Amino acid sequence: MNRVGEVVESSTKVFIARSQNLGESPYFGYFVKTNSNPVVYGLVYEILTESKEPGRKPNAYGMTMDELRREQPHIFELLKTEFHVLITAYSDGEKIRFSLPPLPPPIHTFIYECSNNEVEKLTSEDFFLRTIISSTNIPIDELLISSLRYAQDARKNDKDYIVRMGKSLARIFKDDYERLSSVLRRVV
Amino acid sequence: MVEEKKDFEGKFIDKINLAYSELELRSRQWQEFSKKVKLSKTSWLLPGISSPLNITYTLPPRPSSYTVLASDGSQIFPDRHEALPCYLINIGSVILHYGTDGKAHLRSYPKFFYGDEDRLTTWDGRMIPADSEVISEKRTLMEFEEILRLLEDCENKDNTLALCDGTLIFWRLEGTPSDFKGEIMNSFINVLDKLKTLRVPIAGYISYPGSIDIINALRVGLCPEEISYCSQCPYTELPELPCSPIQGVTDRMLFSKVLEPGERSSLFESSSKILELYGEHRISFFYLNVGEEISRVEIPKWVAQDNDLLNLVHTLIFDQAKKGNGYPTALIEAHEQAVVKAKDRDFFYELVKEALVRSDFKVTLSRKGLSKRSPGV
Repeated sequence: MNRVGEVVESSTKVFIARSQNLGESPYFGYFVKTNSNPVVYGLVYEILTESKEPGRKPNAYGMTMDELRREQPHIFELLKTEFHVLITAYSDGEKIRFSLPPLPPPIHTFIYECSNNEVEKLTSEDFFLRTIISSTNIPIDELLISSLRYAQDARKNDKDYIVRMGKSLARIFKDDYERLSSVLRRVV
Repeated sequence: MVEEKKDFEGKFIDKINLAYSELELRSRQWQEFSKKVKLSKTSWLLPGISSPLNITYTLPPRPSSYTVLASDGSQIFPDRHEALPCYLINIGSVILHYGTDGKAHLRSYPKFFYGDEDRLTTWDGRMIPADSEVISEKRTLMEFEEILRLLEDCENKDNTLALCDGTLIFWRLEGTPSDFKGEIMNSFINVLDKLKTLRVPIAGYISYPGSIDIINALRVGLCPEEISYCSQCPYTELPELPCSPIQGVTDRMLFSKVLEPGERSSLFESSSKILELYGEHRISFFYLNVGEEISRVEIPKWVAQDNDLLNLVHTLIFDQAKKGNGYPTALIEAHEQAVVKAKDRDFFYELVKEALVRSDFKVTLSRKGLSKRSPGV
C-alpha cells in the first residue's frame, strides 16, 4: 500500500494532505483513507500545486521540465502539491459508519488510496452521494460523476449498480431533471 | 529639485568619464602607477595592482554540471524588555546541483543561545553579554562554518563553488580587542584552510557595491606629487584638490563603462588592515558585469592564483546571477531560508515565555515591553 500524502490541515468535514511527490496526487474523485484510529475515509475534491511560501509566486521560465530539472533544480523544493478530502465515512474497528468521525484525523496522519474492495464497501449505499450533494464550496456535480465512475470501476462495470445509484440521484435531485440527466450522461 | 538633480547627474557623467580616461592612462604605465600607489600614504584604502587596470576577461565556458553551496544568516537580538536574556541565530543554507543530476537541498538551522556560556563573550579579558556587534560577527562566522558542513554532504567536489553574501573581509573586527578578534579569526581561517585543502573555491558576492578602491588609486594618479602623502598635502590652499575631480565616483560606476555583460575586470588586492591576519588567504577582488549590474567578487589568494578556480568562480557566479535575474540564485534561496521576520521574532519570544510559564517560572516583562504588546487608545 503506497503512502500518497500526509494530513497538514484537519477539520470536522474536510482535511488537507500534502502529497508525497510534487505534482502527484490521488485522482480527483478517488477514495482515500487515513492510517489513524479511527480510520477516516473521504473523497479527493481539490488538487492544488503552488508555492510553499505565501509571498512567492512561481515564474514562467520558458523551459521544458527536463531543462528546469537541470538548470533551476531549486524550484522543485519551493513548490508543494496538496489535495483536499471530503470526509464521507469512518471505521470504528467493526464496521464502516457513513457519518462524520467523532474527531477529525490527527495532523501528520498518513494518507493511502483505498483498494477496490474498500471502494465497493464505501459506495455500496448512496450515502456518499448525499454527503457530496449536501456539501458547499466543492464542485458537486463533477465529484458525483468521478466518484460514481470509480465506484463502477471497482465493481467491474456492474450495470445494476449504476441503475440503483441513478435512481438514488433521481430521488435526491427531485424535479431537477436537467441536472440529473447531465450527471448520468457523463457517468456512463 | 528635478533641475538640480539633472544638473548633478550631468556633472557626474563628466566625473565618470574623467575616471575612465584616468583608468586608460594609468593602465598604459601600470607598473609605475602600481609602485606609486604602493608607496603613497593616504587616509583611504588603496588596492594592490599587479596588471593593467583596464584589462577585461571574457566569460569562460560553463561546465555542464556544477554545484553551488551558499549560506546566509539572520538573528533575533537580545531584548531586555523581554522575559529572558537570550538570542537566536538562524543559518540558512542551500546545496544546488546543476546538470544531469539536478537537485537541491534547502535547509535552515536555528540555534538558541540562553546559558551564560552562550551569552557571555570574552572581550578584552572580561566576560560581557553578547551585544548586537558580537552576535553579528558570530553569525557571520557560523555562515562560513555552515559551508564546511554543506561540503560534507557533497560526494563530488568537482566544479563546486562556495558562495557567501557580502564581503570576505572581517573589517568590522579591526576595532575589537585582540582576544575576541583572535577567536573569530582562528575559526574563520580554519574554514578557509579546509576549503583550500579540498580545492573548493569560496567567493564573497557584493551586489551594487559602494567600494571605491580603484577610484582611490586613480586619485593618487591625479596627484601631481611623485609619491602622495595626504598628511603633508601641499595643495590644501587651492580651491579644489588635484585629486578631487573624481571624488564621489564609485568603482561600480567606473567599471560599468569598462565591462560588457559576462566580462570581469583585472584582479586587485584589498589592503584592509585586518587582512594582515589572513596569511595565505589574503583577499583579492574583481568586478563582474552580470548583465543587470556590476558586482564585486572577493576571493582568497589561492583562488586568485589558480586560473582554473578563478575561471570557475567567474563563470559560475555569472550563471548564478543569470538564473536569479541579476543576483545569484543560491544567495537568494539561502537568504529565504535564513530570514527571520518581525512576526517570527514575536512568535519566538511567545515560545520562550510559554516554556517559562509551563515550568512555573514567574515571567516578568518591562512595562515598555507590555505596552508594546497591547497599546491602549
